[in-house]
Amino acid sequence: MAYPGGYGAAPGGHATLQQDPLYGYFSAVAGQDGQISADELQRCLTQSGISGTYKPFSMETCRLMVSMLDRDLSNSLGFNEFKELWQVLNGWKSTFMSYDRDRSGTVEGNELQHALNSMGFNLSPQAMNIVMKRHSCEGRIAFDDFVGCCTKLRALTDQFRRRDQRQTGAATFQYDDFIQVTMSI
Amino acid sequence: MAYHSPYRAPPPNNVAQDQTFLWNIFQRVDKDRSGVISDSELQQALSNGTWTPFNPVTVRSVISMFDRENKGGVNFSEFGGVWKYVTDWQNIFRNYDRDNSGFIDKNELKLALTGFGYRLSDQFYNTLIEKFDRQRKGQVAFDDFVQCCIVLQRLTDVFRRYDTDQDGWIQVSYEQYLSMVFNIV
Repeated sequence: MAYPGGYGAAPGGHATLQQDPLYGYFSAVAGQDGQISADELQRCLTQSGISGTYKPFSMETCRLMVSMLDRDLSNSLGFNEFKELWQVLNGWKSTFMSYDRDRSGTVEGNELQHALNSMGFNLSPQAMNIVMKRHSCEGRIAFDDFVGCCTKLRALTDQFRRRDQRQTGAATFQYDDFIQVTMSI
Repeated sequence: MAYHSPYRAPPPNNVAQDQTFLWNIFQRVDKDRSGVISDSELQQALSNGTWTPFNPVTVRSVISMFDRENKGGVNFSEFGGVWKYVTDWQNIFRNYDRDNSGFIDKNELKLALTGFGYRLSDQFYNTLIEKFDRQRKGQVAFDDFVQCCIVLQRLTDVFRRYDTDQDGWIQVSYEQYLSMVFNIV
């Protein structure tokens, strides 16, 4: 008889793919082709209620997230990529919630600065202004826009670091490379 | 490379515009007769060939290009520029839509952008189409094509500003990099 809630996996062993509780969810969202596109991701995140509001999850953010995690350039997420996304999202959700003190589903500008600092992004006030201008609405930022902003920052920071191997704080870009790298975010 | 090529916005047309013709158009588009064409009025007046609403992001880009007073719309004098800009893009689009499908596919896009002076990898064209194709057809409609070119131009402009010796290379700090691209991508 299976243990309640258990499937008889060897103690300490990895659950197989099918035993991973997230896999069922992934399959349902991914459908026939076994891959999650940005559209499917948006539907899934909207239904999950993770943003804490009734508005549809930002499509732009979904596209950014698929782009960030899409390792095989398929423009969609396989299971491992989806799993990584889920973990990252939950982490960001915790951070966000710790700053959304009034549970409005939005965070204020200055709280965003603290939130980003706590995630390791050290932005000057000028850079923060640019971020806020782009992602906030009336000085407040909703969860899906927050995710979009973090995703972009993560991707841009990675691109920068790759061109500043010696960590001098200055990166060099050639024009064609600059265009492609920046547009690929 | 693209920003050394003569391509910029479509070249100035020396033929004087028929003001009556333009005024008739302006009045038709300015539905609420406010004397200013708003984003939504312009959006309703433009067609992307798909019977779906014209890309609002493209509309915003175009209006902001010609709105000299930051009023969120264009008056009659500014509208002349808008009309010409859109007409020139329509001509370009028709020119590169070789099979007259009403869409620009990957190969036609390659021809267009290479013609404009960009040197981009084959893989990158997939990225561009994935990023800008709102119809999800794997090809770009007119409004999405224009938006793609506008973003490429913006990136080129910002790169140029930093490339003071015009050798196609820039060296930037992390903060500079973020401020350059964060609002464009």
